[in-house]
Amino acid sequence: MFVINCPYCGEREQSEFKAGGEAHIVRPKQPTELSDDQWAEYLFMRKNIKGIQYERWNHAHGCRKWFNMVRDTSNDKIKAVYKMGEEPPTE
Amino acid sequence: MLNYNSSLPEKKSFQDIQMMEIYPIMKLNLRGKKREFMSAVGKSLNLLLPTESNTSTRSNTLTALWLSPDEWMIFSNEKIDIMSNEYKTENLLMNKISKINLGAVTDVTDQFVLINLKGNKIFELFQTGSPYNFNNFKKKKGAVTQTILAKIDVIIHNQDLNNVNLFVRRSFSQHLYSWMSDSASRL
Repeated sequence: MFVINCPYCGEREQSEFKAGGEAHIVRPKQPTELSDDQWAEYLFMRKNIKGIQYERWNHAHGCRKWFNMVRDTSNDKIKAVYKMGEEPPTE
Repeated sequence: MLNYNSSLPEKKSFQDIQMMEIYPIMKLNLRGKKREFMSAVGKSLNLLLPTESNTSTRSNTLTALWLSPDEWMIFSNEKIDIMSNEYKTENLLMNKISKINLGAVTDVTDQFVLINLKGNKIFELFQTGSPYNFNNFKKKKGAVTQTILAKIDVIIHNQDLNNVNLFVRRSFSQHLYSWMSDSASRL
């Protein structure tokens, strides 16, 4: 259990949120030109890193807004939280 | 409001908490992002929608709760006419907002049940079943939060000292009410 700083509502407990998987996966511009392998790569393959990971989260039991988060998956320390559409922090 | 059946007919009183359903109260959900939406609502209702998170604004007749950056709930401060299904506020907003595609107006009068709690141990009761930190919330008049209480989504509005409004979806209301009664009896 950890506390997440929702960019809209402020600090809330993790049980109010739902994890939405890896962030910044861009949908291919021409899906019809992709091979099955390339499409499967886009659709299913996720990194699942031990360490710093960029993720999408949803404040499901609060403001119901999606946002991005940089989290260290090995110790659940949150490095940054930023709104959808914003650039990920470089550091 | 025609054919409105109370979800929670009885008032519950404990040593430090009294709770009861207040009905019929008009409730509207407003969604919109544009600046014109905000000013149209403000002009129509004579009530500015709160833009700061977790806050509310109040006029003589209505209260607006901040739910998210583009979502608000408006409810009437007084009970509405039980003999009619006509809501002046809803009709006004329908014409000024919905019909010109500035935003969405949804009547949630029947969807949410308003439970009013009075007493000095309200937040002790909430703390037994919610992950939210109420320490600052209880000091701030007009504060609003959406959180979980006994695993049920609720909207909590700190109306005044020792006077809190709680909105819960109707299908969860009886269970939550009986949970709160049980919890309050053990404080």
